[in-house]
Amino acid sequence: MFLSSAEAIERLVPEGTGLLAVGGMHMHNNPMELVRELVLRRRGVRRLLTSPSASLAADLLIGAGLVDEVATAYIGFEHLGLAPAYRRAAESGAVTVLELCEAAIVHGLFAGAGGLPFTALPPGLELSDVSTANPEHFHTITDPFTGERVLVAAPLRPDVALIHALAADERGNVFFAGAHFTDRLMAMAAKTVIVQVERMAKAGEIAAQRAESVLPGFLVTAVVVAPRGCLPTASHRAYGYDEPALRSYLKLSRTEDGFAEYLQINGMAAAGVTA
Amino acid sequence: MSVTVEYSTGELMAAVMARQLRPGEVAIMGAVSALPQAACRLAQLTTAPGLWFIAGGSGAVNPHLEPLVASSCDERLLNADAVMTLPDVILVEGRGDLIDVFFAGGLQIDIRGNCNLGPVGSWSHPTLRGPGGVGLPFVARAGRVVIYSMSHDRRTFVEHVDFVSGPGFPAGPGGLPGGGPSLMVTPLCTMDFDPGTHLARLATLHPGVTLDQVQEATGFAPILPVKLETTPAPTPEELSILRRLDPAGLLRSGASR
Repeated sequence: MFLSSAEAIERLVPEGTGLLAVGGMHMHNNPMELVRELVLRRRGVRRLLTSPSASLAADLLIGAGLVDEVATAYIGFEHLGLAPAYRRAAESGAVTVLELCEAAIVHGLFAGAGGLPFTALPPGLELSDVSTANPEHFHTITDPFTGERVLVAAPLRPDVALIHALAADERGNVFFAGAHFTDRLMAMAAKTVIVQVERMAKAGEIAAQRAESVLPGFLVTAVVVAPRGCLPTASHRAYGYDEPALRSYLKLSRTEDGFAEYLQINGMAAAGVTA
Repeated sequence: MSVTVEYSTGELMAAVMARQLRPGEVAIMGAVSALPQAACRLAQLTTAPGLWFIAGGSGAVNPHLEPLVASSCDERLLNADAVMTLPDVILVEGRGDLIDVFFAGGLQIDIRGNCNLGPVGSWSHPTLRGPGGVGLPFVARAGRVVIYSMSHDRRTFVEHVDFVSGPGFPAGPGGLPGGGPSLMVTPLCTMDFDPGTHLARLATLHPGVTLDQVQEATGFAPILPVKLETTPAPTPEELSILRRLDPAGLLRSGASR
């Protein structure tokens, strides 16, 4: 249940994992300790699923060449700029982009979590090019109730989800603080769930949380205690994002050499790691 | 005699967007949305008391913006009247009868109000891979769509977007379930949409901007109105509220006017 980040990635994220989901939104609550371990171990995944808005975690994994296909609705850095490694990989064709929108991600995760065979989407969503660009994920069928045409999307059932929560107790019950975005839903839909936490929970602390802020331990495969482990992204109710560090990443990762230098400086260069 | 007060392009745009909102409406916005958030808070404090707004991925409902912040998921936004979970926000967007105003934007925006935040150029090998549209497909279901862009040039304002992230008015048969785009607000002007053709129509020029300047910077030919007005400048009251919300000057990083 309680593992180091190295043990968790080594044991629970096999090379070639079919669908890896990574939580957090924008530059907040990215499970960076776990992501750094993936990069350090050069653990490749066939497909990465992001939250509705991904940032550093996705850009690092793509830049490190660890992702064949990415299913996403946004990878960027908001006011700080576009995602340099994602841009380079998508523009060269090094990574295949499976366009999604936040509705397909969230309703797809609901379907995955609830065992639904697929999910129907609200009328009007077929007017964007998202469903056209990703024909594997979307179909148009006849609504058996109304006879109207309806856009449907595949369920999302990640093999592994990496998410961040504030604290865990000894049985692996965890709770989220601040905004928890789609992290809880991602965990509920995934087969294997690794939760990175800031700290251990105090006695009675989890019982005092509201139901929608808690993920019970039977849904959690492993907990990794990693204080300040979301940096340079924020951890809600713990610390803000480190804007100078994010800017320095964005500057270096404009080129492949700079990206490699960033990995070197931040202890993620693969040389010297023994599996 | 009126006193001339300097203001930034961002402040002017926030004031213009605030005047689009009405009391009791529900507005929503996505990533990089400090500008529409400021507009909503300004509207609540002036012409649209009782307005509701949902600040992007944070799920914050009526964030107090003390202060305005740059990221749409910043935990300081949770200092708000209420907070929803993100899955709840996405349910509400899907219902289609709750969101009156959707603030949208794009790397490319076209004459029918389509917005593209995805690939520019070819879909499989784009010349510019945009970040992605997040919730922009939902604009099809909103009461009306206010489009904003901090760039007004021919790369941004194009005849046809290369990829539709947020649907504008359809070119062919069939309509939108929602009301469609109502206004575009840029650093140079505002454009609305001709009710007959659903094509962009120049509405107002910002103070000091010429028609030539707009036409030069726009990749399509907007319909010209019978009478071209000047965008009213922010009032001293509006500016005073905006500056109280924004001590860091997020809205003042652009050019002064």
